[in-house]
Amino acid sequence: MPKNKTILIIEDEKSLRGALVDILLLKEFVTLEAKNGKEGLEFALEKHPDLILLDLIMPEMDGQTFLKKLREDAWGKKVPIIILTNLSETNKQSAAQVASHEPTLYLIKSDWKLHDIVDKIDKLLKI
Amino acid sequence: MDKRAFKSPSDDIIHDLKILAAEKESVRRKLVVTAAKLAATAEKLAATAKEKEVVRRKLAVTAAKLELSHRTLEKNVLERTKSLEIVRAKERAILLSIGDGLIATDEKGRIILINRTAEKLLGTPSADVVGKLYSEIALLEDEYGTPVQPEKHPVKMALKSGTTTTGTTYYNVRNDKTKFPVAITVTPVILGGKVIGTIKVFRDITNDREVDKAKTEFVSLASHQLRTPLSTVNWYAEMLLAGDVGGLNDKQKKYLDEVYRSNQRMVELVNALLDVSNLELGTFVIEPRSTDICKLARDVIHEQKPQIDARKIRFRFTCGRNLSSMRADPRLLRMVIQNILANSVKYTPPGGKISLSITSADKKDMLIKIADSGYGIPRRQHSKIFTKLFRADNVREKDTDGTGLGLYIVKSIVEKSGGKIWFESPRENRGTTFYVRLPIKGAGRKNK
Repeated sequence: MPKNKTILIIEDEKSLRGALVDILLLKEFVTLEAKNGKEGLEFALEKHPDLILLDLIMPEMDGQTFLKKLREDAWGKKVPIIILTNLSETNKQSAAQVASHEPTLYLIKSDWKLHDIVDKIDKLLKI
Repeated sequence: MDKRAFKSPSDDIIHDLKILAAEKESVRRKLVVTAAKLAATAEKLAATAKEKEVVRRKLAVTAAKLELSHRTLEKNVLERTKSLEIVRAKERAILLSIGDGLIATDEKGRIILINRTAEKLLGTPSADVVGKLYSEIALLEDEYGTPVQPEKHPVKMALKSGTTTTGTTYYNVRNDKTKFPVAITVTPVILGGKVIGTIKVFRDITNDREVDKAKTEFVSLASHQLRTPLSTVNWYAEMLLAGDVGGLNDKQKKYLDEVYRSNQRMVELVNALLDVSNLELGTFVIEPRSTDICKLARDVIHEQKPQIDARKIRFRFTCGRNLSSMRADPRLLRMVIQNILANSVKYTPPGGKISLSITSADKKDMLIKIADSGYGIPRRQHSKIFTKLFRADNVREKDTDGTGLGLYIVKSIVEKSGGKIWFESPRENRGTTFYVRLPIKGAGRKNK
């Protein structure tokens, strides 16, 4: 299990952010928190985390815009990003838009257990 | 003297006189006859003259009547013509004022009439357009911005096929290059069995599109808002139950379990409601692609494995050999199988049997059959099984979980995909068998 890998959590909902931070700390990851896309972009470009957990609906800058801007950066192009949202994918256009900027995964928060998300992170970072 | 040889001159004269008298008498008789004839003829002439007079008088009356008729007829014709003109003017005004755009063409596709709304929508005055070919004005583009070829234009298709053509994914390009989304219906005009022209009715659906967009955005946003607190309860309960923040005694674990499971029900309900509103708003997208059907079914079964094992249910799965790359929408197929299978598992008592089989006899349709030995469906409730939020009485007593939306969603998906769903459950507690037939070829990408 990868130790000391840094995970950036971009999520505006405090309680959800708290749960994610807690479980990641428990599994011995290093965590960074941002509460909107703008903060997230700053931290990502400054600290170069190993993986990013990204919410979509946020104030200031939403997840889609963040993703687009991040992928324009040389480093940002390659970092694995898990979209963690409660927005359904059946909205055809936004799903396509999001997919065009290549997130690594698209997970619906209410359908996923925390421990299973951590498993996914483990798998992605083992590459 | 010889008396015979002696005639007195008076004998000759008497002889001549007698002849004369006879001739006179003859003439006199002839004259009488002639006079009688003349008198008769005069009578006849008089009668004829009388008849002539009668006829002449009758003719005069008829002539007078004809004169009157003629004048009345002329007046009627004038009135009729006037009212026809008024009717025609009204009809023309109606056509021209129809709120939707209207373009009529002849059998060659040349424009013969364009109403005011069409003029406005296209930005072209009628005079500029009448006589031109349909493809020269009102340029159409598809949703990707590709111009529509004249051969594939709805007007051309209606002319060729003689049937009504509709399209709701086109965009009209105006002369000034701006565009708007348009809903088009082209109907052929048929007289005596031949197509003599077309009527194209179209309207700007920018507003409709925006309303639809607003509706789906609302549903999306609402479900997002509902899911957020549900996620919070989920995750914190999960960490507590997993012992991540300290141990729990048995009772605490039990109580927390109830909280967690109830929360899960809410999550399922929100997911189901989201599906239902997508299905009803018509924003549910069907995207068929090459799918390994048996593998997909095995994945779904695997997800149900914990419950199947826990209830000690004997499970059998058979899948046809020719189904490894069929055109189907995997997401929807998964929903269909998962829903029916989950029901079977839920409503079959421990130790029961479930079998799932998928076959395709003709490569055009596939048949999914899910049979269980469970509680069955009471006969009197058979007709309501596919309705929204319905759960049969016999299972409601045994298990309060369940949204009542699963089968409604499955039926909508199956039918929108061109398939059919039905079931058999002849008696309570004797099991239920569900059948789903789905087409597996030739379904193009659809927004349904």
